[in-house]
Amino acid sequence: MDSHQEWAAAGDDRAIRFTGNWREYLPIAATNALLIICTLGVYRFWATARQRRYLWSRTQIIDDTLEWTGTGKEMFIGFLIVIAILAPFFLFIQFLFPALVARGKLDAAGGILFLFYIALIYLGGFARFRALRYRLSRTYWHGIRGGSDDPGWNYGGEYLGRYALTIITMFIMFPWATTRLWNSRWNAMSFGPLQFRASLNAQGLKARWALVYAAPIVAMIAAFGLIAALGIGFKPASGPNPTLGGVFLVIILLIYVAIPLATLHWYAKFFRRAADETKLGNLEFGFDATTLQWLGLFLGNLLLAVVTLGFGLTYWGYRNWAFMVRHLHVYGTVDLADMTQSKTHAPREAEGFADAFDVGAI
Amino acid sequence: MDGKLYDGVTAHPHDVRVKAADGRIELSQATGWSDSVEGNLLKRMDAPAGTLRLGRTDISGWRLMLPAEAEVELAGLLGKHERYGRWIDRFGLGPALAIGAVVTASVVAIGYIAPHWIAPHVPMSWERNVGTAIVGDFGTIRCRDAKGQKALEDLVERVAPGATRGPDAIKVAALNVPIFNAAALPGGYIVVFKPAITETDSDALAGVLAHEIAHVRRRHVTEAMIREFGIGALIRLFAGGVGANAEQIVALSYTRDNEAQADSDAIAMLKRAGISPKPTAALFDRLSKLDVKAPGFSSEFLQSHPLSDKRARKFAASFDPHASYSPALSRDDQDALFDVCRKSKASLTAF
Repeated sequence: MDSHQEWAAAGDDRAIRFTGNWREYLPIAATNALLIICTLGVYRFWATARQRRYLWSRTQIIDDTLEWTGTGKEMFIGFLIVIAILAPFFLFIQFLFPALVARGKLDAAGGILFLFYIALIYLGGFARFRALRYRLSRTYWHGIRGGSDDPGWNYGGEYLGRYALTIITMFIMFPWATTRLWNSRWNAMSFGPLQFRASLNAQGLKARWALVYAAPIVAMIAAFGLIAALGIGFKPASGPNPTLGGVFLVIILLIYVAIPLATLHWYAKFFRRAADETKLGNLEFGFDATTLQWLGLFLGNLLLAVVTLGFGLTYWGYRNWAFMVRHLHVYGTVDLADMTQSKTHAPREAEGFADAFDVGAI
Repeated sequence: MDGKLYDGVTAHPHDVRVKAADGRIELSQATGWSDSVEGNLLKRMDAPAGTLRLGRTDISGWRLMLPAEAEVELAGLLGKHERYGRWIDRFGLGPALAIGAVVTASVVAIGYIAPHWIAPHVPMSWERNVGTAIVGDFGTIRCRDAKGQKALEDLVERVAPGATRGPDAIKVAALNVPIFNAAALPGGYIVVFKPAITETDSDALAGVLAHEIAHVRRRHVTEAMIREFGIGALIRLFAGGVGANAEQIVALSYTRDNEAQADSDAIAMLKRAGISPKPTAALFDRLSKLDVKAPGFSSEFLQSHPLSDKRARKFAASFDPHASYSPALSRDDQDALFDVCRKSKASLTAF
């Protein structure tokens, strides 16, 4: 028996490949949609598990596929546990807030709402951490899984603190907060005996973030240019005001085009940089999706949903996963004999928190 | 047959020979190592076409990869493949869908219909406790002009004699909120927002109040509340996260039937009181046109009271040219009512 083996993950052949196809996935998508509708949504936990089992098993890394071992039952129970914890809290707020407003105690109502949002942000960060931890703990490769022994309470606090600073500084600190949180999250995670190491910083991301602020101004100039070119501009108002349509155009361009596009442009670079700066043992990562490719993914998703009268929604998870895998690169070597089973505690509450706060991705 | 084994301890793959033998599989290696696994410990894992992938229920990470042909040889050992989840597989997809559809339809139907039967049996005192806890005395947003308040109560008394007295008394309050709206709240509270007083005449306001009184008396408010906390909560729980809905304040909505019944009651009340239904019809007509022309304006009122030409016509049709109608309030009381919010400073813009 050969006890020691190294796999070269670099080279012409991509070390990570997506081997699924949409026809093979169709029966899963169709039956998932039907069962979700017929069970008042309860089936969605099992639907998620089936979807992931398919996507993971069609994701080849080097010589073997990934495996998803999470179950619908554990996700359902996890959700119920979280609801049992949070429901009294939400119900209390639901009664308290209108009661304070009705009594004219607007300051107190505002204060409660403020505290409520603070708690929501904290739990949102906590949920994100726990979802990642859960997903790694249920993801197997070569019979080895990932995980984390960090419960994530501190991460929730850090998340709250960094985003509070971001909000106070009118989102100027956003790249700083997001990159540091990426590091905190991934540095707490491991796969087998290997610890993830992330050292992302805001370098190279600040200019693109500045563009998010510049985008509305550029869009406004472009829109007014367009109005002037069309000659519907500043005529003396007689009859219906022609500038109204122009103003409307500006608002549409601003809200629906310029700002989201600039933000997407930022995220495209963020993910490329994040993958570059994250390592696992001797493995390094890369991600090569450009802004245009991201845009293609999202517009494709929208178009698919519209053309299929909504059924295409069931393919969003598939398309997003395939997109991520197709643009992800893995380089380096992994020592299989030294890659021992993870000793991290496997969490039991599944993704209940992420589910409750609606931050789950796939 | 030949297979590949992960032992779940390291990532290293081992080449093994696999043999099926009564209720077990036997694994062996050229080195002399051997092992056997009971069939009931084996489970199928998802794998791309062309491979059979087995796991063990007692050792996490243990995997045996075999060519797809092995399926035939091991068929007796491996139970049925879990496809949709065990609770669905038990019935099969078709029957599960049928059962699910029937159960879901029944739950929704019961959730919507049952509150209608339960509501009349909920003691008014319970509802009053809930209402008082939520509503309180409205603090500074309430318009507290004594003469105006008296006029408002007189108007309620005019359409529904005795309604403001007794243990189940209706408590009416004017609120300094710049939205055209009136609403019945749990516990027999009726609130009228300022524009509903200053932008209408007292005859039309009488019609609106009669409509809200009907909602209270028919226990529509209780019904809506039960519906909201029963089926409403259930649907929102599974259709989306609670977080996304957390900000949502209890939104009460009446069914179409309830609205129609409240209208009929209101028409009867106006008739008995000798108040012309025409101003109410005109108000509804005006609001339904506003709805088309300027979406957003007074949308609060429209949401809780879907208006249509039909409703306006229903009020207009109840006008009797031979009846003798009198104004709902005297000139002085109308003036007092108009000024009910004059002295209150606090105004709620948006929350």
